[in-house]
Amino acid sequence: MPMYGDQGNKLVQHAKRMQNLVHLPPYQTELVRAVTREVRDLDKDVASLLEPFQGSFDPSADQSTACTLLVNHLSMRRNKRCLLAYHRTRTDKLEELVWNGSDVLDLAGQQAGGGANGATAAADGGASSSLSPQEEDYVRQYGDLLAAYKGQWTDIDLTGSLEPPRDLFIDVRVLKDAGEIQTEYGAINLTKNSQFYVRQGDVERLIAQGYLQKLG
Amino acid sequence: MDIDDILREVDPTFHAVPQEKRNLQELTRAWIAERSAPELLPWPADGLFERVNDSIKRQIEKVEEMTGDMDPKTNFALIVIQTELERFKYLVRSYLRARISKIDRHTLHYLSTDALRARLSEMELAYATRHQALLHNHYLSSFLSSFPSALQNLNDSAGINMVETPDLESAVFIRLLKDTLVEGRGVDSDGAMDGRESDIVILRWADAKTLVENGSAELV
Repeated sequence: MPMYGDQGNKLVQHAKRMQNLVHLPPYQTELVRAVTREVRDLDKDVASLLEPFQGSFDPSADQSTACTLLVNHLSMRRNKRCLLAYHRTRTDKLEELVWNGSDVLDLAGQQAGGGANGATAAADGGASSSLSPQEEDYVRQYGDLLAAYKGQWTDIDLTGSLEPPRDLFIDVRVLKDAGEIQTEYGAINLTKNSQFYVRQGDVERLIAQGYLQKLG
Repeated sequence: MDIDDILREVDPTFHAVPQEKRNLQELTRAWIAERSAPELLPWPADGLFERVNDSIKRQIEKVEEMTGDMDPKTNFALIVIQTELERFKYLVRSYLRARISKIDRHTLHYLSTDALRARLSEMELAYATRHQALLHNHYLSSFLSSFPSALQNLNDSAGINMVETPDLESAVFIRLLKDTLVEGRGVDSDGAMDGRESDIVILRWADAKTLVENGSAELV
């Protein structure tokens, strides 16, 4: 027989597992709905239990009812925490993706881990999104928020690499055709499998997006 | 005061540290402190970031100016300047990111009182407020709106407080900048020691905080 909080626990387990995954597993619409329903049912139970007392319930006079109420009360709160934890873990993950500059909405349908797998995963791009519609909204809005915050630091690319810069120039290999880029030393044509010695600042975005690989 | 202090005072270069270098020192110190401290530290109020931004802008202009020059000597100088520029940018970026990640983790906590809000820069405050609003909206549209209205808050404090706070008891390393008494609370008993300048001590952040704030120590 299912117990109060069983469903919530499942959500927490999903969230826990998610932390170690590269990609975002599908949103548990059914489970979220079930936990929410449980909360509403419990709330209804509480209301009907309290109804005969007309607001003058004395816990010490009716200890068994008091106990039921307490359990219901705690289960509701626990479920709420589980739901919050589940959603928060997912939004954290989504935010991380937004910061890394990957196109989350594009990625969502493909369930690809990073830009590098994009080409192979694009084939089954028709699969249903692993994000809930609300999450898609959230990602869009968070992207705007981040862009607004970044925009105030014009000279510093906030989403740039967090590795301390060692050398001004680095060797890179081109993994995917990226077309021509402009640098202060002239234009470079990035064709697949070619190798270049370029300024790190010029190609940072391309590395993050998986077009280039840093060597050495 | 020992012989080093006296020597330093008569050293003409000590008082003539150029502004640029002081900026870098302050920035580096703020960056290290922010990365080590478990809670968000106050945003530097003395306009450090305006100064740093200005000097980054100036250097970028200089780089653009020098790029056209084909003289090998300028070319070398150019590389030095660009390397410096990249490092400056990295410091600022890493500093801001460290702050944002702390703000994101405990948004409601940092927005809860005026004293805590004052630690954020205006931009960060705008970001945090908006981010929290987005999150709340997301929760609401995902499940919270179908909850009984008494359960829709995000800051219930009945039972367990829902607003998480940073762990002020976690350990930090500090370097003493002058001789001072260091007091720390332990598990079984509290301890105190007479610290000497440049000693490195590990203790709880809650105990180290006053020392760092009054300038007797810095985080490492």
